[in-house]
Amino acid sequence: MCITKVGKVLSTSKGRAEVEFFGANDVGDVDVSVVGGVAEGAFVEVFGDLALSVLSRAEAKRRKAVWEEVRKAAMMPPPRRGAKA
Amino acid sequence: MPNSLGYCGPDDRGLILRHIEESKGGEDLASTLKGFEAAYPFLRLIARSTGKEVFDYAVPEAYWIGNALLDRVETPEFYRFSHHELVGKDPKEVRKLFKTVGGQARPHHTFYVMSTYATSSVADGPNLSDDGRKKVQGLIDNCRISWGEVQDVGKSKLTVRYQPVSVSDGRLTLSDPVVRKVSYNPEVRSFSNVSPGNWVTMHWDYACEVVSPRQVRNITRYTALDIEATNKILKAPPQRR
Repeated sequence: MCITKVGKVLSTSKGRAEVEFFGANDVGDVDVSVVGGVAEGAFVEVFGDLALSVLSRAEAKRRKAVWEEVRKAAMMPPPRRGAKA
Repeated sequence: MPNSLGYCGPDDRGLILRHIEESKGGEDLASTLKGFEAAYPFLRLIARSTGKEVFDYAVPEAYWIGNALLDRVETPEFYRFSHHELVGKDPKEVRKLFKTVGGQARPHHTFYVMSTYATSSVADGPNLSDDGRKKVQGLIDNCRISWGEVQDVGKSKLTVRYQPVSVSDGRLTLSDPVVRKVSYNPEVRSFSNVSPGNWVTMHWDYACEVVSPRQVRNITRYTALDIEATNKILKAPPQRR
């Protein structure tokens, strides 16, 4: 299944972009034609190989922090049901 | 081929395929499957909520196809899970999604795919061009689990009649049936006696397995519920999304 990824556009060409994804040392080739008007330095949310949202810088910063936090949490065992925080 | 596009998890598709062909589990397979950042947490959620083992057949079946286990995952538990265990989901989007559909949100793969589109800015934006709409439709249709009736069996392709997802007037629907060809692996036990009239599930361009009439009823029912919930999100004013 696809997972949602967020990243920064490194370069664009003919409706596609090289995107550096947050939380992973991963650069992907992404179709940005549906969101339109994406330039180098923009932040996008990607599903599969298609960008579905353009994010503001502030939103991207927030999402980056969320992404890193969730990734960190994913490395830990899940909380037990009913366990106190 | 599982994860052949690399969108789903670890790049260990050969190992997974080998296990599928041999219909055999094992620690190496379990360890690879745990690396699927979206699928595995969902299985863990369903298992935890229903007292099952993660790789009990009914658990992945619930997630991919749909079965009664989905109805036993309580909404607050799914909400907590979406905040704390699901990689990549934005808490703001999660809050909005649950506020709009509440208990209609189910830990079903198809709902994950459709709701991801529904909470994106593409869904909020101006009308898509025809080309853009086709791309979005294609993404949703390929990434969800679809199902269809086998019309013809080739050496490596099945001809299948199925209903694709369509995006029109800001809503998702299942269109009239069309015929398409999908790849399948005749070495996989599920396909050893595949014949016209059988029903199969599909993911991207691959047939996953032959399914029973009970499973066809389930995937039909849960996909319809997913579409209904997603359309509620799409209908909500953008500020609520």
